[in-house]
Amino acid sequence: MAEAVLDRHTGGSAPPVLSGSLPLLGHLLQLRNAPIDLFWRLRRECGEIGELNFAGNRVVLLTGEEAQEAFFRAEEEQLDQAAAYPFMKPVFGRGVVFDATPEQRRQAMKNQSLRDKFMRGHAEVIAAETERMMDPLGDEGELDLLDFFAELTIYTSSACLIGKGFREELTPEYYRVFYDLEKGTDALAYVNPSLPLPVFRARDRARKRLVELLTDVFARRAGVEGENRELFDILLTLRDQSGAPRYDVDVITGMFISMMFAGHHTTSGTAAWTLIELLRHPDVATAVVNELDEIYADGRDVSYQALREIPALEAAVKESLRLHPPLILLMRKVMKSFEYKQWTVPAGKLVGVSPAVSNRLPECFPEPERYDPDRYAEGHEADRRLFAWIPFGAGRHRCVGAAFAMMQLKAIFSTLLRSYTFELAQPPESYQNDHSKMVVQLRQPCRARYRRRAP
Amino acid sequence: MHIMLDRDLCQGHGTCGEEAPEVFELDAEGNLVVKQPEPPESQREAVKRAVKYCPTGALTLQE
Repeated sequence: MAEAVLDRHTGGSAPPVLSGSLPLLGHLLQLRNAPIDLFWRLRRECGEIGELNFAGNRVVLLTGEEAQEAFFRAEEEQLDQAAAYPFMKPVFGRGVVFDATPEQRRQAMKNQSLRDKFMRGHAEVIAAETERMMDPLGDEGELDLLDFFAELTIYTSSACLIGKGFREELTPEYYRVFYDLEKGTDALAYVNPSLPLPVFRARDRARKRLVELLTDVFARRAGVEGENRELFDILLTLRDQSGAPRYDVDVITGMFISMMFAGHHTTSGTAAWTLIELLRHPDVATAVVNELDEIYADGRDVSYQALREIPALEAAVKESLRLHPPLILLMRKVMKSFEYKQWTVPAGKLVGVSPAVSNRLPECFPEPERYDPDRYAEGHEADRRLFAWIPFGAGRHRCVGAAFAMMQLKAIFSTLLRSYTFELAQPPESYQNDHSKMVVQLRQPCRARYRRRAP
Repeated sequence: MHIMLDRDLCQGHGTCGEEAPEVFELDAEGNLVVKQPEPPESQREAVKRAVKYCPTGALTLQE
Protein backbone atom coordinates (compact mmCIF):
# COMPACT_ATOMS: atom_id res chain seq x y z
CA MET A 1 0.00 0.00 0.00
CA ALA A 2 2.70 2.39 0.98
CA GLU A 3 4.48 1.76 -2.29
CA ALA A 4 1.36 2.43 -4.30
CA VAL A 5 1.08 5.77 -2.57
CA LEU A 6 4.72 6.52 -3.29
CA ASP A 7 4.37 5.69 -6.96
CA ARG A 8 1.48 8.01 -7.56
CA HIS A 9 3.09 11.10 -6.01
CA THR A 10 -0.22 11.86 -4.36
CA GLY A 11 1.06 14.82 -2.43
CA GLY A 12 -0.79 16.46 0.41
CA SER A 13 1.86 17.07 3.08
CA ALA A 14 3.97 20.17 3.36
CA PRO A 15 7.71 19.45 3.33
CA PRO A 16 9.42 19.85 6.74
CA VAL A 17 11.04 23.20 7.42
CA LEU A 18 14.71 23.17 8.40
CA SER A 19 15.47 24.36 11.92
CA GLY A 20 17.54 27.43 12.67
CA SER A 21 15.53 29.94 10.65
CA LEU A 22 15.93 33.51 11.89
CA PRO A 23 13.15 36.11 11.81
CA LEU A 24 13.08 37.90 8.41
CA LEU A 25 16.39 36.53 7.13
CA GLY A 26 15.56 32.84 7.58
CA HIS A 27 18.61 30.76 6.62
CA LEU A 28 20.13 33.50 4.46
CA LEU A 29 23.20 34.11 6.61
CA GLN A 30 24.00 30.40 6.63
CA LEU A 31 23.55 30.39 2.86
CA ARG A 32 26.14 33.16 2.57
CA ASN A 33 28.59 31.63 5.04
CA ALA A 34 28.57 27.92 4.31
CA PRO A 35 25.91 26.98 1.76
CA ILE A 36 27.04 23.39 1.20
CA ASP A 37 27.03 22.68 4.96
CA LEU A 38 23.52 24.13 5.10
CA PHE A 39 22.29 21.79 2.34
CA TRP A 40 23.85 18.74 4.00
CA ARG A 41 22.32 19.69 7.34
CA LEU A 42 18.94 19.82 5.63
CA ARG A 43 19.45 16.34 4.18
CA ARG A 44 20.45 14.96 7.60
CA GLU A 45 17.63 16.64 9.45
CA CYS A 46 14.74 16.54 6.95
CA GLY A 47 15.67 13.74 4.53
CA GLU A 48 15.22 13.99 0.78
CA ILE A 49 12.96 17.04 0.92
CA GLY A 50 13.02 20.06 3.20
CA GLU A 51 12.29 23.77 3.14
CA LEU A 52 14.74 26.65 3.43
CA ASN A 53 13.94 30.31 3.86
CA PHE A 54 16.02 32.94 2.08
CA ALA A 55 14.71 36.23 3.44
CA GLY A 56 11.12 35.20 2.84
CA ASN A 57 11.79 33.24 -0.36
CA ARG A 58 10.84 29.64 0.41
CA VAL A 59 13.10 27.16 -1.31
CA VAL A 60 12.29 23.46 -1.08
CA LEU A 61 15.51 21.51 -1.51
CA LEU A 62 15.33 18.05 -3.06
CA THR A 63 18.29 15.73 -2.50
CA GLY A 64 18.99 12.16 -3.57
CA GLU A 65 18.87 10.61 -7.01
CA GLU A 66 15.14 9.89 -7.00
CA ALA A 67 13.95 13.31 -5.80
CA GLN A 68 16.37 15.01 -8.17
CA GLU A 69 15.02 13.03 -11.10
CA ALA A 70 11.50 14.27 -10.29
CA PHE A 71 12.88 17.83 -10.28
CA PHE A 72 14.75 17.49 -13.57
CA ARG A 73 11.92 15.71 -15.37
CA ALA A 74 9.21 18.20 -14.38
CA GLU A 75 7.44 20.01 -17.23
CA GLU A 76 8.42 23.59 -18.04
CA GLU A 77 4.87 24.76 -17.25
CA GLN A 78 5.28 23.33 -13.76
CA LEU A 79 8.83 24.32 -12.78
CA ASP A 80 10.13 27.47 -14.43
CA GLN A 81 13.80 28.29 -14.50
CA ALA A 82 13.66 31.90 -15.59
CA ALA A 83 11.95 33.28 -12.47
CA ALA A 84 14.28 31.67 -9.94
CA TYR A 85 17.39 33.85 -10.02
CA PRO A 86 16.62 37.40 -8.84
CA PHE A 87 20.33 38.15 -8.26
CA MET A 88 20.95 37.99 -12.02
CA LYS A 89 18.56 40.78 -13.00
CA PRO A 90 20.86 43.72 -12.22
CA VAL A 91 23.72 41.90 -13.96
CA PHE A 92 21.91 41.43 -17.25
CA GLY A 93 19.89 44.62 -17.08
CA ARG A 94 16.69 45.47 -18.94
CA GLY A 95 15.54 43.71 -22.04
CA VAL A 96 17.34 40.46 -21.43
CA VAL A 97 15.63 37.33 -20.18
CA PHE A 98 17.62 35.09 -17.91
CA ASP A 99 16.97 31.99 -19.87
CA ALA A 100 15.13 30.81 -22.94
CA THR A 101 12.32 28.28 -22.90
CA PRO A 102 13.25 24.76 -24.07
CA GLU A 103 11.48 25.56 -27.36
CA GLN A 104 13.55 28.72 -27.89
CA ARG A 105 16.66 26.80 -26.94
CA ARG A 106 15.96 24.16 -29.55
CA GLN A 107 15.39 26.91 -32.09
CA ALA A 108 18.64 28.56 -31.12
CA MET A 109 20.50 25.27 -31.22
CA LYS A 110 19.31 24.70 -34.79
CA ASN A 111 21.72 27.03 -36.48
CA GLN A 112 23.75 28.28 -33.61
CA SER A 113 27.31 28.07 -32.53
CA LEU A 114 26.87 25.19 -30.06
CA ARG A 115 25.82 22.71 -32.74
CA ASP A 116 28.10 19.78 -33.19
CA LYS A 117 29.31 20.71 -36.65
CA PHE A 118 30.79 24.06 -35.51
CA MET A 119 32.93 22.47 -32.85
CA ARG A 120 36.05 21.87 -34.89
CA GLY A 121 36.34 25.55 -35.74
CA HIS A 122 35.87 26.42 -32.08
CA ALA A 123 38.59 23.98 -31.03
CA GLU A 124 41.03 25.64 -33.39
CA VAL A 125 40.18 29.07 -31.97
CA ILE A 126 40.58 27.87 -28.38
CA ALA A 127 43.97 26.28 -29.04
CA ALA A 128 45.13 29.53 -30.67
CA GLU A 129 43.83 31.65 -27.76
CA THR A 130 45.64 29.40 -25.29
CA GLU A 131 48.86 29.87 -27.29
CA ARG A 132 48.36 33.63 -27.12
CA MET A 133 47.95 33.51 -23.35
CA MET A 134 51.16 31.47 -23.11
CA ASP A 135 53.18 33.93 -25.20
CA PRO A 136 54.06 36.34 -22.39
CA LEU A 137 54.71 33.57 -19.83
CA GLY A 138 58.36 33.01 -20.69
CA ASP A 139 60.36 29.99 -19.55
CA GLU A 140 59.28 29.96 -15.94
CA GLY A 141 57.38 31.94 -13.37
CA GLU A 142 54.26 32.07 -11.25
CA LEU A 143 50.67 32.86 -12.14
CA ASP A 144 47.33 33.21 -10.43
CA LEU A 145 45.01 30.48 -11.66
CA LEU A 146 41.85 32.56 -11.39
CA ASP A 147 43.32 35.51 -13.29
CA PHE A 148 44.88 33.31 -15.97
CA PHE A 149 41.85 31.17 -16.75
CA ALA A 150 39.31 33.98 -16.30
CA GLU A 151 41.16 36.04 -18.89
CA LEU A 152 41.63 33.11 -21.28
CA THR A 153 37.96 32.13 -21.17
CA ILE A 154 36.80 35.69 -21.85
CA TYR A 155 38.72 35.49 -25.14
CA THR A 156 37.66 31.95 -26.05
CA SER A 157 33.98 32.55 -25.27
CA SER A 158 33.80 35.82 -27.15
CA ALA A 159 35.70 34.49 -30.17
CA CYS A 160 33.55 31.34 -30.43
CA LEU A 161 30.14 32.64 -29.39
CA ILE A 162 30.13 36.24 -30.62
CA GLY A 163 32.76 36.76 -33.30
CA LYS A 164 36.47 36.89 -33.94
CA GLY A 165 36.45 40.56 -34.87
CA PHE A 166 34.66 41.42 -31.67
CA ARG A 167 37.13 39.33 -29.64
CA GLU A 168 40.04 41.36 -31.03
CA GLU A 169 38.54 44.43 -29.36
CA LEU A 170 38.78 42.89 -25.90
CA THR A 171 41.48 43.71 -23.38
CA PRO A 172 42.34 42.29 -19.93
CA GLU A 173 40.02 44.93 -18.45
CA TYR A 174 37.05 42.86 -19.62
CA TYR A 175 37.77 39.88 -17.42
CA ARG A 176 38.17 42.17 -14.42
CA VAL A 177 34.84 43.80 -15.20
CA PHE A 178 33.29 40.36 -15.49
CA TYR A 179 34.81 39.40 -12.16
CA ASP A 180 32.99 42.30 -10.50
CA LEU A 181 29.74 41.31 -12.20
CA GLU A 182 30.18 37.74 -11.00
CA LYS A 183 30.98 38.85 -7.46
CA GLY A 184 27.81 40.93 -7.54
CA THR A 185 25.71 37.78 -7.15
CA ASP A 186 25.64 37.97 -3.37
CA ALA A 187 22.79 36.03 -1.78
CA LEU A 188 21.70 39.27 -0.07
CA ALA A 189 20.02 39.97 -3.41
CA TYR A 190 17.24 37.78 -2.00
CA VAL A 191 16.56 40.63 0.43
CA ASN A 192 16.96 43.29 -2.24
CA PRO A 193 19.36 43.38 -5.18
CA SER A 194 19.81 47.14 -4.75
CA LEU A 195 20.99 47.16 -1.13
CA PRO A 196 23.79 49.74 -0.64
CA LEU A 197 26.51 47.11 -0.34
CA PRO A 198 30.04 47.41 -1.78
CA VAL A 199 29.61 44.27 -3.93
CA PHE A 200 26.39 45.57 -5.44
CA ARG A 201 27.91 49.00 -6.10
CA ALA A 202 30.91 47.34 -7.74
CA ARG A 203 28.50 45.24 -9.82
CA ASP A 204 26.63 48.33 -11.04
CA ARG A 205 29.88 50.22 -11.76
CA ALA A 206 31.16 47.22 -13.71
CA ARG A 207 28.04 47.06 -15.83
CA LYS A 208 28.20 50.78 -16.54
CA ARG A 209 31.86 50.47 -17.47
CA LEU A 210 31.04 47.65 -19.84
CA VAL A 211 28.50 49.86 -21.63
CA GLU A 212 31.22 52.51 -22.04
CA LEU A 213 33.72 49.98 -23.34
CA LEU A 214 31.25 48.52 -25.81
CA THR A 215 30.15 51.96 -27.00
CA ASP A 216 33.76 52.54 -28.03
CA VAL A 217 34.01 49.11 -29.63
CA PHE A 218 30.94 49.75 -31.77
CA ALA A 219 32.17 53.20 -32.72
CA ARG A 220 35.38 51.61 -33.99
CA ARG A 221 33.51 48.86 -35.77
CA ALA A 222 30.98 51.17 -37.40
CA GLY A 223 32.87 51.04 -40.70
CA VAL A 224 33.03 47.24 -40.84
CA GLU A 225 31.18 45.95 -43.85
CA GLY A 226 29.97 42.86 -45.63
CA GLU A 227 31.09 39.49 -44.40
CA ASN A 228 33.10 40.98 -41.56
CA ARG A 229 29.99 42.28 -39.83
CA GLU A 230 29.21 40.21 -36.77
CA LEU A 231 26.15 39.59 -34.65
CA PHE A 232 26.28 42.82 -32.64
CA ASP A 233 27.16 44.99 -35.64
CA ILE A 234 23.99 43.76 -37.28
CA LEU A 235 21.79 44.06 -34.18
CA LEU A 236 22.86 47.68 -33.75
CA THR A 237 21.69 48.64 -37.22
CA LEU A 238 18.23 47.09 -36.88
CA ARG A 239 15.37 49.60 -36.88
CA ASP A 240 11.83 49.29 -35.63
CA GLN A 241 8.78 50.43 -37.63
CA SER A 242 9.23 54.07 -36.71
CA GLY A 243 12.85 53.96 -37.90
CA ALA A 244 14.34 54.17 -34.42
CA PRO A 245 17.17 51.78 -33.45
CA ARG A 246 15.71 48.60 -32.05
CA TYR A 247 18.54 47.94 -29.61
CA ASP A 248 20.80 50.43 -27.90
CA VAL A 249 24.25 49.68 -26.51
CA ASP A 250 22.82 49.14 -23.03
CA VAL A 251 20.60 46.29 -24.21
CA ILE A 252 23.38 44.84 -26.38
CA THR A 253 25.65 44.95 -23.34
CA GLY A 254 23.05 42.84 -21.53
CA MET A 255 23.03 40.37 -24.42
CA PHE A 256 26.81 40.25 -24.37
CA ILE A 257 26.81 39.54 -20.63
CA SER A 258 24.13 36.88 -20.92
CA MET A 259 25.90 35.13 -23.81
CA MET A 260 29.22 35.17 -21.98
CA PHE A 261 28.08 34.59 -18.42
CA ALA A 262 27.07 30.93 -18.46
CA GLY A 263 30.28 29.77 -20.07
CA HIS A 264 32.74 32.02 -18.33
CA HIS A 265 33.18 31.54 -14.58
CA THR A 266 32.09 27.92 -15.00
CA THR A 267 34.77 26.96 -17.53
CA SER A 268 37.38 29.18 -15.93
CA GLY A 269 36.81 27.61 -12.50
CA THR A 270 36.78 24.09 -13.89
CA ALA A 271 40.07 24.66 -15.72
CA ALA A 272 41.66 25.95 -12.52
CA TRP A 273 40.30 23.08 -10.40
CA THR A 274 41.38 20.50 -12.96
CA LEU A 275 44.92 21.82 -12.76
CA ILE A 276 44.86 22.02 -8.96
CA GLU A 277 43.61 18.43 -8.64
CA LEU A 278 46.21 17.21 -11.13
CA LEU A 279 48.93 18.88 -9.08
CA ARG A 280 47.50 17.42 -5.87
CA HIS A 281 47.62 13.97 -7.50
CA PRO A 282 50.94 13.65 -9.33
CA ASP A 283 50.25 10.07 -10.48
CA VAL A 284 47.11 11.25 -12.29
CA ALA A 285 48.99 14.21 -13.74
CA THR A 286 51.71 11.94 -15.09
CA ALA A 287 49.14 9.69 -16.75
CA VAL A 288 47.40 12.71 -18.32
CA VAL A 289 50.61 14.25 -19.66
CA ASN A 290 51.85 10.90 -20.99
CA GLU A 291 48.54 10.39 -22.74
CA LEU A 292 48.76 13.80 -24.40
CA ASP A 293 52.39 13.28 -25.47
CA GLU A 294 51.45 9.95 -27.00
CA ILE A 295 48.34 11.18 -28.81
CA TYR A 296 50.04 14.23 -30.29
CA ALA A 297 53.33 12.47 -31.10
CA ASP A 298 52.30 12.25 -34.75
CA GLY A 299 51.92 16.03 -34.95
CA ARG A 300 48.16 16.05 -35.26
CA ASP A 301 46.13 19.20 -34.61
CA VAL A 302 44.51 20.04 -31.30
CA SER A 303 41.43 21.07 -33.28
CA TYR A 304 41.14 17.50 -34.53
CA GLN A 305 41.81 15.74 -31.25
CA ALA A 306 39.84 17.96 -28.89
CA LEU A 307 36.66 16.56 -30.44
CA ARG A 308 37.81 13.00 -29.94
CA GLU A 309 38.58 10.87 -26.94
CA ILE A 310 41.34 11.83 -24.53
CA PRO A 311 40.26 9.41 -21.80
CA ALA A 312 42.66 10.20 -18.93
CA LEU A 313 42.28 13.96 -19.37
CA GLU A 314 38.50 13.74 -19.69
CA ALA A 315 38.26 11.62 -16.54
CA ALA A 316 40.44 14.13 -14.68
CA VAL A 317 38.17 16.99 -15.77
CA LYS A 318 34.99 15.09 -14.90
CA GLU A 319 36.28 14.24 -11.46
CA SER A 320 37.16 17.90 -10.84
CA LEU A 321 33.64 18.83 -11.94
CA ARG A 322 32.17 16.28 -9.56
CA LEU A 323 34.07 17.59 -6.54
CA HIS A 324 33.94 21.28 -7.47
CA PRO A 325 30.76 21.93 -9.45
CA PRO A 326 30.72 25.60 -10.53
CA LEU A 327 27.06 25.94 -9.59
CA ILE A 328 26.04 24.63 -6.19
CA LEU A 329 22.31 25.38 -6.24
CA LEU A 330 19.99 24.99 -9.23
CA MET A 331 16.53 26.45 -8.80
CA ARG A 332 13.13 26.58 -10.42
CA LYS A 333 10.00 28.52 -9.57
CA VAL A 334 6.93 26.38 -8.95
CA MET A 335 4.23 27.50 -11.41
CA LYS A 336 1.76 24.64 -10.83
CA SER A 337 1.85 22.82 -7.51
CA PHE A 338 4.62 20.25 -7.57
CA GLU A 339 4.00 16.85 -6.05
CA TYR A 340 6.62 14.37 -5.00
CA LYS A 341 5.67 11.25 -3.09
CA GLN A 342 3.48 12.38 -0.20
CA TRP A 343 4.60 16.02 -0.38
CA THR A 344 3.20 19.04 -2.18
CA VAL A 345 5.04 22.25 -2.94
CA PRO A 346 2.50 24.95 -3.83
CA ALA A 347 2.89 27.42 -6.69
CA GLY A 348 4.96 30.48 -5.83
CA LYS A 349 7.67 28.68 -3.87
CA LEU A 350 11.03 27.72 -5.30
CA VAL A 351 12.43 24.22 -5.54
CA GLY A 352 16.13 23.53 -5.71
CA VAL A 353 18.72 20.82 -6.22
CA SER A 354 22.34 21.06 -5.13
CA PRO A 355 25.03 19.61 -7.44
CA ALA A 356 27.52 20.01 -4.58
CA VAL A 357 25.49 17.61 -2.45
CA SER A 358 24.43 15.27 -5.23
CA ASN A 359 27.93 14.77 -6.63
CA ARG A 360 29.09 13.54 -3.22
CA LEU A 361 26.22 11.24 -2.31
CA PRO A 362 27.97 8.17 -0.87
CA GLU A 363 25.26 5.81 -2.19
CA CYS A 364 26.02 6.98 -5.75
CA PHE A 365 29.74 7.67 -5.51
CA PRO A 366 31.62 5.36 -3.12
CA GLU A 367 34.23 7.22 -1.07
CA PRO A 368 32.79 10.46 -2.39
CA GLU A 369 35.53 12.73 -1.00
CA ARG A 370 38.25 10.89 -2.90
CA TYR A 371 39.54 12.31 -6.20
CA ASP A 372 39.41 9.20 -8.36
CA PRO A 373 39.29 9.59 -12.15
CA ASP A 374 38.93 5.79 -12.46
CA ARG A 375 35.23 6.30 -11.73
CA TYR A 376 34.86 7.15 -15.40
CA ALA A 377 36.71 4.13 -16.78
CA GLU A 378 34.90 1.87 -19.22
CA GLY A 379 32.24 -0.08 -17.36
CA HIS A 380 32.04 2.40 -14.44
CA GLU A 381 31.00 5.65 -16.12
CA ALA A 382 29.97 7.53 -13.00
CA ASP A 383 28.88 10.45 -15.19
CA ARG A 384 26.13 8.32 -16.73
CA ARG A 385 24.21 8.41 -13.47
CA LEU A 386 22.27 11.17 -15.13
CA PHE A 387 20.32 12.37 -12.10
CA ALA A 388 23.14 12.03 -9.55
CA TRP A 389 26.29 13.20 -11.42
CA ILE A 390 24.96 16.66 -12.13
CA PRO A 391 27.67 19.30 -12.51
CA PHE A 392 25.83 20.31 -15.70
CA GLY A 393 22.35 19.75 -14.28
CA ALA A 394 20.10 17.27 -16.09
CA GLY A 395 16.98 17.06 -18.21
CA ARG A 396 15.63 19.80 -20.47
CA HIS A 397 17.65 22.54 -18.84
CA ARG A 398 20.90 20.61 -18.74
CA CYS A 399 23.72 22.96 -19.66
CA VAL A 400 23.55 23.27 -23.47
CA GLY A 401 27.21 24.22 -23.43
CA ALA A 402 28.39 21.02 -21.75
CA ALA A 403 29.87 19.47 -24.90
CA PHE A 404 31.42 22.81 -25.83
CA ALA A 405 32.90 23.12 -22.35
CA MET A 406 34.43 19.64 -22.43
CA MET A 407 35.89 20.29 -25.86
CA GLN A 408 37.22 23.63 -24.66
CA LEU A 409 38.90 22.12 -21.61
CA LYS A 410 40.46 19.39 -23.75
CA ALA A 411 41.78 21.98 -26.19
CA ILE A 412 43.16 24.18 -23.39
CA PHE A 413 44.98 21.36 -21.59
CA SER A 414 46.18 19.74 -24.82
CA THR A 415 47.94 23.02 -25.52
CA LEU A 416 49.02 24.01 -22.01
CA LEU A 417 50.31 20.72 -20.63
CA ARG A 418 52.44 19.93 -23.66
CA SER A 419 54.29 23.24 -23.30
CA TYR A 420 54.55 23.68 -19.55
CA THR A 421 54.84 21.71 -16.34
CA PHE A 422 53.11 23.16 -13.30
CA GLU A 423 53.42 22.89 -9.55
CA LEU A 424 51.40 24.30 -6.69
CA ALA A 425 52.88 27.45 -5.17
CA GLN A 426 50.80 27.13 -1.98
CA PRO A 427 49.94 24.30 0.44
CA PRO A 428 47.56 21.90 -1.40
CA GLU A 429 44.69 22.47 1.03
CA SER A 430 44.88 26.26 0.73
CA TYR A 431 43.02 26.22 -2.61
CA GLN A 432 39.37 26.79 -1.75
CA ASN A 433 36.25 28.09 -3.38
CA ASP A 434 34.64 31.28 -2.15
CA HIS A 435 31.00 30.35 -1.58
CA SER A 436 29.84 33.72 -0.32
CA LYS A 437 28.42 34.57 -3.75
CA MET A 438 25.92 32.61 -5.80
CA VAL A 439 28.54 32.48 -8.53
CA VAL A 440 31.28 30.32 -7.06
CA GLN A 441 34.88 31.42 -7.65
CA LEU A 442 38.27 30.32 -6.41
CA ARG A 443 39.47 32.32 -3.46
CA GLN A 444 42.58 34.32 -4.24
CA PRO A 445 45.50 33.88 -3.90
CA CYS A 446 45.49 30.63 -5.89
CA ARG A 447 48.95 30.58 -7.38
CA ALA A 448 50.89 27.99 -9.36
CA ARG A 449 54.46 27.87 -10.68
CA TYR A 450 55.19 26.91 -14.25
CA ARG A 451 58.26 25.89 -16.23
CA ARG A 452 58.56 25.41 -19.96
CA ARG A 453 59.05 21.80 -20.95
CA ALA A 454 62.11 20.74 -22.91
CA PRO A 455 61.15 20.56 -26.58
CA MET B 1 18.62 -3.92 -31.51
CA HIS B 2 16.16 -1.22 -30.50
CA ILE B 3 16.86 2.49 -29.88
CA MET B 4 15.15 4.20 -26.96
CA LEU B 5 14.95 8.00 -26.94
CA ASP B 6 14.17 9.84 -23.70
CA ARG B 7 12.56 13.06 -24.91
CA ASP B 8 12.86 14.67 -21.47
CA LEU B 9 16.61 14.64 -21.98
CA CYS B 10 17.15 15.33 -25.71
CA GLN B 11 18.24 18.91 -26.48
CA GLY B 12 18.79 18.53 -30.21
CA HIS B 13 22.58 18.77 -30.29
CA GLY B 14 22.66 16.58 -33.38
CA THR B 15 25.66 14.52 -32.32
CA CYS B 16 23.83 11.25 -33.08
CA GLY B 17 23.06 12.48 -36.60
CA GLU B 18 26.75 13.14 -37.17
CA GLU B 19 27.63 9.64 -35.99
CA ALA B 20 24.81 7.71 -37.66
CA PRO B 21 23.11 9.91 -40.27
CA GLU B 22 21.09 7.01 -41.67
CA VAL B 23 19.45 6.43 -38.32
CA PHE B 24 19.14 9.88 -36.71
CA GLU B 25 18.15 13.23 -38.12
CA LEU B 26 17.05 16.59 -36.77
CA ASP B 27 13.89 17.89 -38.39
CA ALA B 28 13.38 21.50 -39.50
CA GLU B 29 12.39 22.46 -35.93
CA GLY B 30 15.54 20.91 -34.51
CA ASN B 31 13.69 17.94 -33.00
CA LEU B 32 15.32 14.57 -33.20
CA VAL B 33 13.73 12.00 -35.50
CA VAL B 34 14.83 8.39 -35.06
CA LYS B 35 14.40 7.25 -38.65
CA GLN B 36 15.19 3.65 -37.86
CA PRO B 37 14.23 2.70 -34.29
CA GLU B 38 15.22 -0.89 -35.16
CA PRO B 39 18.38 -0.27 -37.18
CA PRO B 40 20.01 -3.03 -39.24
CA GLU B 41 23.08 -4.81 -37.93
CA SER B 42 25.27 -2.85 -40.37
CA GLN B 43 24.52 0.29 -38.33
CA ARG B 44 25.49 -1.22 -34.99
CA GLU B 45 28.88 0.46 -34.55
CA ALA B 46 27.62 3.87 -35.68
CA VAL B 47 24.58 3.63 -33.39
CA LYS B 48 26.75 2.60 -30.46
CA ARG B 49 28.89 5.69 -31.03
CA ALA B 50 25.76 7.86 -31.25
CA VAL B 51 24.56 6.50 -27.91
CA LYS B 52 27.99 6.91 -26.33
CA TYR B 53 28.57 10.48 -27.49
CA CYS B 54 25.06 11.82 -26.93
CA PRO B 55 25.85 14.82 -24.72
CA THR B 56 22.68 14.43 -22.66
CA GLY B 57 22.46 10.64 -22.33
CA ALA B 58 19.06 10.67 -24.06
CA LEU B 59 19.69 7.52 -26.11
CA THR B 60 19.90 3.91 -24.97
CA LEU B 61 20.27 0.75 -26.94
CA GLN B 62 18.25 -2.36 -26.12
CA GLU B 63 19.16 -5.73 -27.57
